[in-house]
Amino acid sequence: MKPTDQTPGNHNTSAEGTGTGAMKPGFHNTDGQGIAGHGSFFQATDLSPEDAVRATDWVRKHVDRRTIDLGDRMDDVREHMEELEKDGQIIIHRVGDQHEPVSVKTLFGWDKKIPTKQLWHHKSCGQCGNIPGYPTALLWVMNKFGFVPGKDYLDETDQTSCTAWNYHGSGIGNVESLAAVFLRNFHQAYISGKQHGHEAGHFFPLVHCGTSYGNYKEIRKYLIESAELREKVTKILGKLGRLVDGKLVIPEEIVHYSEWVHVMRNRIASELQTIDVSNIRVTAHVACHYYKMVHEDAIYDPTVLGGNRTAIITSMAQALGAQVIDYSTWYDCCGFGFRHIISEREFTRSFTMDRKIRVAREEANADVMLTNDTGCVTTMDKNQWIGKAHDQDFQVPIMAEVQFAALACGADPLKIVQLQWHASPCEELVEKMGISWDEAKKNFHEYLKEVEAGNIEYLYNPELAYGSKA
Amino acid sequence: MATYAEMQQIYDDIRGDFRYDHELNGCLNCGICTATCPSAQFYDYSPREIVQLLWTENVEQIYDAMQEKIWACAQCMTCAARCPFKNSPGGLVAIMREVAIKHEMQSAKDVLRPFGRVMLKLITTGNQLSPDMIQPDHFPDWGPNIQKVEGDLRLLRKAIPVKTLQTVDTAWEVSLKTSVEMYTIWEMTGVLRSLELMDENLFDVIEDFIDEKREDYEDWLEEQEEDEEDDD
Repeated sequence: MKPTDQTPGNHNTSAEGTGTGAMKPGFHNTDGQGIAGHGSFFQATDLSPEDAVRATDWVRKHVDRRTIDLGDRMDDVREHMEELEKDGQIIIHRVGDQHEPVSVKTLFGWDKKIPTKQLWHHKSCGQCGNIPGYPTALLWVMNKFGFVPGKDYLDETDQTSCTAWNYHGSGIGNVESLAAVFLRNFHQAYISGKQHGHEAGHFFPLVHCGTSYGNYKEIRKYLIESAELREKVTKILGKLGRLVDGKLVIPEEIVHYSEWVHVMRNRIASELQTIDVSNIRVTAHVACHYYKMVHEDAIYDPTVLGGNRTAIITSMAQALGAQVIDYSTWYDCCGFGFRHIISEREFTRSFTMDRKIRVAREEANADVMLTNDTGCVTTMDKNQWIGKAHDQDFQVPIMAEVQFAALACGADPLKIVQLQWHASPCEELVEKMGISWDEAKKNFHEYLKEVEAGNIEYLYNPELAYGSKA
Repeated sequence: MATYAEMQQIYDDIRGDFRYDHELNGCLNCGICTATCPSAQFYDYSPREIVQLLWTENVEQIYDAMQEKIWACAQCMTCAARCPFKNSPGGLVAIMREVAIKHEMQSAKDVLRPFGRVMLKLITTGNQLSPDMIQPDHFPDWGPNIQKVEGDLRLLRKAIPVKTLQTVDTAWEVSLKTSVEMYTIWEMTGVLRSLELMDENLFDVIEDFIDEKREDYEDWLEEQEEDEEDDD
């Protein structure tokens, strides 16, 4: 979906598309099915292009002014990091040319460097434990680009969870523990190349989890602002042997996997895509902790949703040529709640059914809801069945955008995309994409026999995972 | 029921957190935080109320809100993204939860009891979730088709084409050294002490586990040294 305000007055009274409400970019639908971006209640104004510009100009000025004002009021933590490094207090793990970075814009128009190569996969406990298709689809896409494991990326055992799920859920933990965990894991990322014959800093951390990403960014700000916190955690990191020249290592950028997908989207579409997804109606749910925590660092792109919403997920779906359909509760949380998913499930399932699944089904008639975080997939995927108890028999396939991208590039739905772990009707999406679910399932059962016999296929040589042995 | 002096101390601890001034900058009572809050739709909880209580230094009502209300927050931080004053009601709640634990409030103990399994997993392995926790018996409300291929969990995990994920009792394979480093972090940052205050039995189980892992690590280090000597 292209934002309508990019093409003022560009109305089309005979909306084209393959499904009900399907839209071509920038075209308005007048068949009563609403318009991508506004929901079924929308009515086009039918202003002339000149009048449309006049009507919206003042909004643009207002938005621009807000952007400038907020930008001035808000500190860029990276500038303070530079100062601390000059003072000899920290070492910045930089995104260098060797990481082949792509520069993107964030909320206030600041630049952010997204490394595309030499990545240290910082895994998500919820994804690995429950939705393993997240990391496997990501690694598979990297392999399809010809990335060399151990050189272009590393997945190893020497890392922990960020522990922020626990913190947000229970309150056990504190800024100091979160900071120590952050610095420990990112120090390991910094030095991890050495055991594979590379320089320090060779691998740059790529954070898989949305909550880890939000938490690490928040903690980084606190670390930069508080000398007392730095002093405390320096003692801990020193005891762990995780200082470099007596200094803390802090990354120049904190990068989420969906940002990597965003900057690679056109290459994924042009070099890897094998399946036409123009008949697929996609809705997007961006994880709260991606863009509501340290929101100034989230990616916004004027060519995606007019820059009015964060670009990730939508940009990937657009690049693949899918129909991106809007729904009115796009801004809502999924209902995960950290402790609620464990111990207050009535809240979680009620919220997710009422505010996300029902809306995606009724308003958008979605073939799939794409998201970019652990808790969101778990919550929206697993809580659909219970809706029947409340006459909410709505179902929408739920998966990560990278899983969808891998499917569009020909990945096996079970062996690679690991959709067997999902509860929502992902097989319906797979079938609509022209892939036989039954065939894939049959092949997977055959593969399970091979696995039982010890013939396991790997995305990379397993020995690479054991750099530190113990 | 706490005395006024105790309630004042609780408030002082909240306001003494170095994040407090980041998270609270003023309040117009506009209520946009509550309007956008998922928890406000289902609980007697309002982020606007939390901010107002702190802004007006209402120590008794703050104490009251810590009995139940603060645990309703889903920590999505939508409130923080929307607030025109750049407050973070969710961030304030996080501080209040930490202080509730520090003061051994019964509300915190009650809330954390069902969280024990996650806590045990996290503290002892460095992972917060594992495949063996996501079983149909644990989540009957997720329905009978919690996954699309039935079979032995261990075998299904082995069919994931990434070695580090072929685990059952952790989300990924965590090296022993890594876990031992985590224990040091827990100890040095007072997390184990917090846990002891909340649930002594859970703490005992965790302590035994940590001792065992540390011994395993010491043994491994000794083996390494012996191997090196043999090589020499």
